[in-house]
Parts: sequence; structure tokens; C-alpha cells
Amino acid sequence: MTAAQAGVTARGIRRSFGPVHAVQGIDLDVPLGQVTALVGPNGAGKTTAMLVLATLLVPDAGEVRVAGFDPITQAGEVRARMGWAPDVFGMYDTLTCREYLETMAAAYRIPTGQRTDRARHLLELARLPDKAEQPVHSLSRGQKQRLGLVRALVHDPAVLLLDEPASGLDPRSRVELRDLLRRLAGEGRAVLVSSHILSDLEEVADRVVFVDGGRTVGQHAIGDMPQARTARTYRLRGLDPAALQAELEKRGVGWATAGHAGIDVQVLGGEESAARLLAELVAADVRVTAFAPVGGSLEATYLDLVEGQR
Amino acid sequence: MNGILTVARLEFRLRIRAGRWRWLVGAWFLVLLGVTLLVRSAADQENLVGDLEEQRTLGAAMFGVVMLVVLALALLVTPALAAQSVNGDRERGTLATLQVTRLSAAEIALGKLLASWGTALVFLGVTLPLALWCYLEGGLSVLRIAGVYLVTALLLGIVCAISLALSTLLARTTTSAVLAYLTVFALTVGTLVTFGLVTASVQTEATVRNDGYGGSYEITVPRPDKTWFLLAPNPFAVLADSAPAAPVRTIELPNGDTIEEPLSVDVLGSMSRELHRIRAAPRYHDTEYGTQFAVPDGVTGGPVWPLGLGVNLLLAAGAIWVTIVRLRTPTRKLARGQRIA
Repeated sequence: MTAAQAGVTARGIRRSFGPVHAVQGIDLDVPLGQVTALVGPNGAGKTTAMLVLATLLVPDAGEVRVAGFDPITQAGEVRARMGWAPDVFGMYDTLTCREYLETMAAAYRIPTGQRTDRARHLLELARLPDKAEQPVHSLSRGQKQRLGLVRALVHDPAVLLLDEPASGLDPRSRVELRDLLRRLAGEGRAVLVSSHILSDLEEVADRVVFVDGGRTVGQHAIGDMPQARTARTYRLRGLDPAALQAELEKRGVGWATAGHAGIDVQVLGGEESAARLLAELVAADVRVTAFAPVGGSLEATYLDLVEGQR
Repeated sequence: MNGILTVARLEFRLRIRAGRWRWLVGAWFLVLLGVTLLVRSAADQENLVGDLEEQRTLGAAMFGVVMLVVLALALLVTPALAAQSVNGDRERGTLATLQVTRLSAAEIALGKLLASWGTALVFLGVTLPLALWCYLEGGLSVLRIAGVYLVTALLLGIVCAISLALSTLLARTTTSAVLAYLTVFALTVGTLVTFGLVTASVQTEATVRNDGYGGSYEITVPRPDKTWFLLAPNPFAVLADSAPAAPVRTIELPNGDTIEEPLSVDVLGSMSRELHRIRAAPRYHDTEYGTQFAVPDGVTGGPVWPLGLGVNLLLAAGAIWVTIVRLRTPTRKLARGQRIA
């Protein structure tokens, strides 16, 4: 990958806070025009890595480029091209949404004449145009989250760093966030998203970077993720639940009821065994209406990685 | 410069909308109006201000007391305006989003300083009608009023700068607020107590002669001329000593000599004269009774305020520097318990 295509490249980021080794070797590539997911358990070093990329924290070691510049020695250049939305952030509650965005536009040195237009455009992007003159504290949590996201877009950055942008969003807003991220990547931006909501990430991300214990444990394109090695849960539904249960028991497949949602079974041996089980059930005349993995492949791979570490 | 104004405007807006400022400023004005009224009725007594003609000079007497009260109360209000500025933003998680913009650390620091100082100046500005009243009572020059206000404004700015620096150094807002008040306490009461105690322990022995009692004897003489600098940074000393001289009147004595005398009782002037006096070194000199070791009559030391204000301005400059350094990103060090975002 050449520098021109790379929104972010990071090699061997290390950072300790006293005795706590928050990051001990994170490698990261965020190409332009793609959404890259940063996935890992709490305390894996995601936020610390983001702070380094966002020109806020000097790493103990490591080679980092954001939009082609070094965030440590060329912070100003990076800031002009990078937008960052932290996981936990405050807002100036008593400002109106328009004032808030206009203030941020001023902080990014956008000329006075363009700030009003910019704020209006961003409010539309956040689906908050009717809230322009409302104080920020009157917004719901999800609305604030969206306002915080478009704040990071005030200066039309080429690189976007979003730390847990989906937390606090209702399902509809999550779908919208997904569409927005796709659109931003489609405009040629490099988007890095960290999240715990893996099913969402799976649908939006082009690439995924797994981190655990402060290290990068894998970088994959979403299409060629390694198959899960451990058992995976599948959820089944049949027209006659009793017949389905009986057939499963006959085969010695452990099951558990998931209430009205159906029956959960543990399938070992990847998609091959799952396909075989389904074929057998159908052959035995069980009328199956649903047979699907619970959680996406991202989640499975993630759990696999995390289990593998322990 | 634009960046400074962006931050200052933001902070100012937040301040105005956050609290009950109208009530606070209103209460502040009423308290000081009451003080001015009391001072006027106290000064307007015959035993204090001789004859009727002199009543037109009441203003100088009123102004001195009122401004000392204004300074005292403003020193109580000002630390609150800046002492939670940076760590409060950190707690609310609004600082980092400002730091990743194109604003420099200096712009954020100076913008915050400007906003808190501006708020302090609003409180000071509200007292201007009282100064006008004093002026109308007579005995005051516009220059004296302007000088006193300028120095008061500077002193409040200095307190803002120190408080702001404390808010960058300490993670907890309560700790920084307490330390800001302790700093003001150290500057006001601390300097006075230190000066008093150190002066009491720095005394020189001298042999003087008194012909009336017939002979020489030893005395110990306090030497405030060696310790005056301890008192110099006191804001009240700076204010009193830096005030442009009050108008004087020239009195012709029966023997044809003329002397200059302040137009009325003037507390700032008295404090200033006292400060000049303690700077003067005692020395041996002959009087009609013998040889004394004292400050000869009519001898005074120089003004105290240039050093005092200088020390305060240096403190403020250091505080601003600390603030800028502490706001600089990317950062290497995090204070314990400090979150970056």
C-alpha cells in the first residue's frame, strides 16, 4: 500500500501509562475509500491507539502516519485532515446545535462566511435540521451522538477516526450510521471505527483489525476472514418444534430453547458441519423454517481470537 | 488572534448561559452601593472633614475605601471564574475535541484567560457608576480613577492567570479552586503576616544618645527597610501605592511658607505614604536632643508598587506559560487520574 492510498498506517505503536502497558504493538492500516473496523475487548488498547492517531498522545514507540503526516511532529497538518469522535465526549450543553457546529468550524479556521452553510449541511447530515436552534442539552443521547459524529466532519477530513460511534444509538440510528459510514467511505475517506456491536461492523466494514491485550492479532479483509475453529451457535425454527427437538436428540445434538426465537444448537466444525446438519434434518422430513448462525462471522472470529488468547 | 477570540467567545457564551449572572452582578452592585453609602455618611462628619468648603472633597475619601472593598470582593470572586476552566472541561470531556482542532495550545489558553478576565472586568465595570459618584463629590482627578481601575483590572487578570494555571495542573476541580483561593490568601494575608513576622525578627541594635537623660543607651530598631519587599506583592499595597496622587491644596502658613496637603482623608494616600516610609532606612542623625537612630523626618523611600506589580506580572506570565505547556498536544505525560478525552 502506498502512502497516497493509505489514510492511516501505524507500525508497532507502544504506550504505557506507568505500570499499565495499554498498547504493546498495534499495527494498523486504514486505506482511503474503505471502512476499517477496530475490534477487541475492553482494555485491548483501542482507545489509546485512537488517541495516538488523533494527535493527542505521544506513543512510547512506533511509526505512525495519518493522511501522510506524522501526528507527533506534524500535528497541525494531521488535524487539518483528520476528524475524531471520541467514545465519551461532552458537549457545550447551553449552545444551540447551530452555534456548536459554527464554533467548531471557527476552531477549524473555516472562513466566517462559510460557517453557517457548513453547519446547516452537517445538521442535515445528522438528520437534525429542525434542531438547529435548540440547545444541545435538549437532544436525546442518540441525537447527541450524531451531532458529535458530524462535528468530526466539520472540516471535511480525509481521515475519520470514530471511537464507539454506535454506543447509545437505537437500531434505526445504527442503520443510518452504517449508511453514513458507507457514504463517507464512498467519498474516498479513510474511516476507522471501533465498536463492540460486531454485527453492525460486519455489515459496514471492508476490513477488520483485531486487537487484544494491546496487540494487533490479525488484519483481514472482511471477505476472507479465517473460519471459526470453535463451536458456533445456530438458531433453528421448525413448523413443529417438538419434531425438531426429537430429531436433534436422535442425532445427539445438544440444544437449548431460545423461547419464541427458536432453538439454539452448538455446531462444531464450521459451516461444513452446519450444512450437513441442515441437510440431514431436511432429509428426515423436519420442516425447517429458519437455520442461521447467531451473530455474524466477525463475532465468531472475534470470540475465536479472544478464546485463543486465553 | 482569531483563534483566541473563538475560544473566548465560546467560553463567554457558556458562562453567561450557565449561571444566574444577572442576579449575581445585581447583588454585587447593591452590596457595593451599600458600602459606598455607608462610607459617604461616615466620611461626611464634621470631625472628619473640617469645614463646609471641604465637603466638596469627600470623593477622595469615599473612593479610597470603596476601591479597597471592590478589590477585596473581586479577589473573592475572581478565582472562581478560572480555577475550574481546564480541568472542568476535561471532566466534561470537551477539552480534547477542542485540542484536535486547528486551535493551538496558546490560543486555547489565552482565549480561556480572556474569557475569565473579561468576566471579572464585567464585575469591575459595574462599579464605575460608584466611581462617578465619588468623582462628583469632589477631590478626585480622572487620572486617579483611571489609574486605580487600570491596576485593579491588572490584578484581577493576574489572579485569573494563576487560577487558570492551577486548573491545568490539578485533575480535580475542587482542589484547584481551593488552591486558587489559598494563593489569593497568600498574596493578601500571607504577605502581610510574613512581612510582620520577618520584620519583627530582623532588628538592629543601635547606640543612641539623649542629652536630656544624660547619656548613651542601646536600642533595638526594627528594619522594615530590609523586609519591605515581602509586603510589596500584596494587591492592596500595589493598588494604594500605584494610585496617581490625589489632588492637593496649597496652604500658606502665617510665616509665609507654603505646604501641600491632601484635600481630604484619603486611605489610599495614607497607605501609600506608610509604604514609602517603611522603605526608608533609619540612620544616625543629630537632633536637638542628641543622636538618634531613626528615619529622619521628611525622608521616605521610593514607591513599593513597581516591584509588587512586577512580581505579580511575573507570576502571571509564568502561569500563562504553564497553562500553554499543559494544554499542548500530543502529550507525553498524563497526570494521575487524568483522562485525555
